[in-house]
Amino acid sequence: MGKPTDLVQGTLDLLILRTIALESMHGWGIAQRIQFVSKNALQVRQGALYPALHRLEQQGWIRAEWGDSDNNRRAKYYSLTGAGRKYLKKEQANWERLSSAIGLVLEAAES
Amino acid sequence: MRWLNKFSLRLRSLFHRRSADAELDSELDFHLQREIAAKVSAGMPPAEARQAALREFGGVEELKEECRDTRRTNYIHDFGQDVRYALRVLRKSPAFSAIIILTLALGIGANTAIFSLVDSLLLRPLPAQNPSELTVLAFRQGHGPLLTQFSAADLRDIRAQASGAFSDMLGHMLAFDGVSLNGKADRALVEYVTGNFFSLLGMKPYAGRFFLPSEGQTPGADPITVLTYGYWKSRFAGDPNIVGKRILINAHPCTVVGIAPPDFRGLYPAPVTQLYFPFAMVETFEAGWPKDLLSNRILQNLYILARLRPGVSLATAQAALNVVAQRLSAEYPETNKGMTLNVYAERFARPDPSTSSTLISAAALFLALVGLVLLLACANIANLLLVRATGRTREMAVRAALGAARSRLVRQLLTESVLLALLGGVAGLFLGMLASRSIGSIDLHGPIPIQLVYGFDWRIFVYTFAAALLTGVIVGLIPALRASRTSISVALHESGRAIAGGKNRVRTGLVVLQVAGSLMLLVIAGLFTRSLGAVQHTNLGFDPHNVVDFTMDPSEIGYDEAQGLVFYKSLFDRVRALPGVQSASLTSSVPMSNYGNNDYLKISDYQNPPGQGLPLVAYGVVSPGFFENMRIPLLRGRSFTEADQKGAPYVAVVSQAFAERYWPNQDPIGKHFAKVSGLTNPQYEVVGVAKNCHFNDLTSVIDPYFYLPLGQDYALSSLQILQIRSAAPPDIVIRETQDVVRSLAPDLPLFDIHTMTESLDTLQGFLLFRLAAGLAAALGLLGLTLAIVGVYGVISYSVSQRTHEIGIRMALGAQRAEVLKMILGQGFVIVAAGLVLGCLSAFAAARLISNMLVGVSAADPATYSVVTLILALVALLACYIPARRAMRVDPMVALRYE
Repeated sequence: MGKPTDLVQGTLDLLILRTIALESMHGWGIAQRIQFVSKNALQVRQGALYPALHRLEQQGWIRAEWGDSDNNRRAKYYSLTGAGRKYLKKEQANWERLSSAIGLVLEAAES
Repeated sequence: MRWLNKFSLRLRSLFHRRSADAELDSELDFHLQREIAAKVSAGMPPAEARQAALREFGGVEELKEECRDTRRTNYIHDFGQDVRYALRVLRKSPAFSAIIILTLALGIGANTAIFSLVDSLLLRPLPAQNPSELTVLAFRQGHGPLLTQFSAADLRDIRAQASGAFSDMLGHMLAFDGVSLNGKADRALVEYVTGNFFSLLGMKPYAGRFFLPSEGQTPGADPITVLTYGYWKSRFAGDPNIVGKRILINAHPCTVVGIAPPDFRGLYPAPVTQLYFPFAMVETFEAGWPKDLLSNRILQNLYILARLRPGVSLATAQAALNVVAQRLSAEYPETNKGMTLNVYAERFARPDPSTSSTLISAAALFLALVGLVLLLACANIANLLLVRATGRTREMAVRAALGAARSRLVRQLLTESVLLALLGGVAGLFLGMLASRSIGSIDLHGPIPIQLVYGFDWRIFVYTFAAALLTGVIVGLIPALRASRTSISVALHESGRAIAGGKNRVRTGLVVLQVAGSLMLLVIAGLFTRSLGAVQHTNLGFDPHNVVDFTMDPSEIGYDEAQGLVFYKSLFDRVRALPGVQSASLTSSVPMSNYGNNDYLKISDYQNPPGQGLPLVAYGVVSPGFFENMRIPLLRGRSFTEADQKGAPYVAVVSQAFAERYWPNQDPIGKHFAKVSGLTNPQYEVVGVAKNCHFNDLTSVIDPYFYLPLGQDYALSSLQILQIRSAAPPDIVIRETQDVVRSLAPDLPLFDIHTMTESLDTLQGFLLFRLAAGLAAALGLLGLTLAIVGVYGVISYSVSQRTHEIGIRMALGAQRAEVLKMILGQGFVIVAAGLVLGCLSAFAAARLISNMLVGVSAADPATYSVVTLILALVALLACYIPARRAMRVDPMVALRYE
C-alpha cells in the first residue's frame, strides 16, 4: 500500500475495535463514543467510518447483527469476533510500542 | 473458522447483492436520522439540522460505492459486465470475429489432435486400481541390451524374493491364435498371463469370473479363457450365454469363464488384446513350444508388470531388485550370470523401457511443433487485435475520461480476447476430434488390432481449455496494454491516423517471428520428408514389388506337422500353376512384420565375450525357392531344396552379417551352431550365405539373421506367409489364391492379405516416417499460411496508413516504380529478418531431432535453401499485392483522403 492514509486507517481500525470491545454498538454510537472518550479531540467522519466497518467485517474481525435501538428503530450492531479480539490485543500492543518509541525519540530531541 | 465466515459473507454479497445494498441504505439512513435527532435535541431547528447533517455526511453514493468495494465481489460483477459487453462487440463485427475464431480453431485443433494422440499413447494410466503403483521390470545380462522378457522361473523367483517392495508381480505374453466356434475359424491377438493378472490390476469381471492365482501354473491344467468386452461384442455378437461355452483355440477345446469390463483394453497403449489364457496353457495351445517353459530359464517370454507396495519408492524397489539380481546370477550362473534388474514406472516405460525414450521425444517434438503453430496463429490474431485496438483508441479514451481505471480497461479488453479464444477453443476441440479420429483410422497394415486414439478424456479438455485461455491472454495483452496507455487528450483531439502511424514496431516484430516460426516448421517438415525419401530408397536387400502376402497357420484348425507339410506342399504346387505367377515361396516372417522367431545360439568356433549371455539371433523358417522368389542373392553355397527334409542332415543358411560377426575371415560353409530353446536342439550345418536384408527396421545396422528349411523345422513355425510373385494384378492373385486355399482346407483362415509393398508400411517400416513427414508437412503448411497472412496483413495495413504519404511523394514527382520498390523494400526487410532468425532457430531445433532423421543431416543445405527460397518467394508475393495497390495510388485522391 504505502500510502499516507495507512497510519490513519490503521488507527481508526484500532479505535473502532477498542470501542466495541466492551459491548456491541451501531455505527453512529461508535462515532459518538470515540468523540466523547477523546474529549472531542477525535472526530470520526462517516465517510471513513462505514467503509472501515465494512472492511473489518469482511476481514472477519467484527460481526454485524440487526437489533432494536433505544428509539425503537432497527440498527446494525457491530461486535468483536474471537479473532477480532486477538487481533485487537496484538494491534494494541503494537500501537503502545510504537507510541512509546515515538515518545522516546521526541523526548530525546527535546533535551 | 475465520475463512469460513469470510467466505459466507462473500457469497452473501455476491448472490444477495440487492439485499446487501438495501441493508447498507438503511444503515446509513439510521445514522443520518440519529445525527439529525442529536442536532435537534441540541436546539437546532429540524430543517436546519437535516441540512447540516447531510452536509457533514458528504457524498452518499461515493460512500456506498466505497463500502461495496470492501466486499471484493465487484470483480465478479465487473466480469459479468465485461463478458456481456465483449459479446456485443463480437456480434457487431461478425466477420472479424469469425476470422479470429477460425484461425484459433485451426491452431487449437491441431494441438488437440496431437495431444489426444500423446494422451492415449503416453498419458492415460492403465485401467487398473492405483495405476501409479504399477511398474515394469527389465534386465540386462552383462553389457548386453536391455531386455524386457523374462523366463517364468525368473519371474517366480523375483516375485518371491522382492516381495518386501512389491505386493505382487504378473507376467504376460502376446501371441496370435486361431479361435473357432461352430466351425468358423479366425484368429485373434491373445495374451497368456499368470493367474494373478486380473487380481493384481484390481478389476471386477463384467460377467463370469477371472483367473485364480493358482491357475496357469500347471501345464495344460486350465483350458479356460477370459474375453475382452470388445471381442465378446464383435466376435460373439454379445452372446449373453457365452460364459461356460466351449470354443476351440488352435483346435484345442477351451471354456469361456468370464468377460473383462468394457474400459479394459489390455496392457498395451495401442494393440488391443482380445482373449486371455492362463500362461501354462501355452504348451497345449501352441504347437512347437518346449515342454519346460515353466522351468527353463533360457525361455524368456514374459513381460513383467509389478505393483509396488504402498509408500515404497522406485529407489527402494530398485535396491531390493539389485539384491535379487545378485542372488539369481550367483545361483544360476549358467543362464543368469551378470544379470542386473531395472524397475521403471509403467507410465514412463511405454511401449517398453528400451524404446520409451523414442516415443517420449517424438511426442515432445510434435507437441512443440503444434505449439509453434498455435504461436503463429496467436501472432496473427494479436496483429488483428492491434489493428482493431488502434481503431478503438477513441472509445478507450472516452471510457478513461469517464473515469474507468487503466486496469479496468485492460481487464475489459482481455475479457474480449479470452472470450474469442475460448470460442476458438470450442471450435478447435471439434476440429481436433475430427483430426484425431482420422489419425486414429490410419491403416497400419499390421495383423494386430490397433486403436490409436481412445476418444476424449478430461486431460484433453483441460489441455484445450488451458491452451485457449493462454492464447486469449497472450493475444490480448499487448493490444490491451497499448490501447489503455493512450493519452486521453491526444486521442480525443486528434484523428486515429496520427496515433497509428509509426507505432507498428510491435506488429512488424510479430510478423518477423511468424516468418521465422514457419520457416522452422517447414525445415523440419522438409527434413522428415527427405528422411522418408531416404528410407524409401534404402536398398532393402530383397525385391518387394509385384508380391502378394497371405498369412495362414494350419495348426489353428488342428493340423499336425505331417498334415501341415502336405497342405503346404499341395498349396505350393497349385499356386505355382496359376496364370501369371512367376514364383512363390513360404516364410515364417516377412520384413517389418510382427511375426518372427529368435533364439539364443551356441556357435561353434565362436568365443562368447566374457560376462555376456549367449547371442540372441532372429531367424526365419522358409521353403525351397525363398531366396530366388525374394531375389536375395546367395553369396556362397546353396539355398534350400526339397531334399532338406526330416531325416536329412540339419542345414541352415546364414546372412552375411551373421558370418562376419561370428566367423570373421573364415569360411562359414560347413560351420555349425545350435539353438537352445527348441523341443530338440540339433546342430545345424551352414550350407549357404545370403546377402543382408533389412528385416526388423530400416534404420539400424543390419543384425545377424539365419534361415532354416520348412521341411525340417515346421515345428518352429507352423504359421507361414505365402508370397506370390505374379505379373497378374494383385486383386486377381488374391481371389485365385483364396479359391485354392478354400478348396484345400475350407476352414483355414487367411489373414493379412497385402501386397508386400503395403506390408512394409508398418510401424517398424515406413509408416512412422510417413506419419512424421505427413504431420510435419501439414503443420508446416498451416504455419506457412498463417505467416503469409501475417505478412500480407502488416504490409497492406502499412500501405493503407501511408496512402497520404505516398500521395504526397507522387505529387512531388516520385515514380510508380519507386513507390513499388519502397513498399517491397519494407516487406523484404521484414521477410529477410524472419528468414535469418528462422534459419538459426531451425538449425538449433533440427539438431535436437537429428536422431530421428535417417539419411539426411540436420544441417542439410538442400532442405534449408529450398525451403528458404520458397518461403521468400511466397512472402514477397504477399508483399507485392499491397505494393501494387500503393503504386496505383492516385495522388489527387490520396491528398483529399481524410
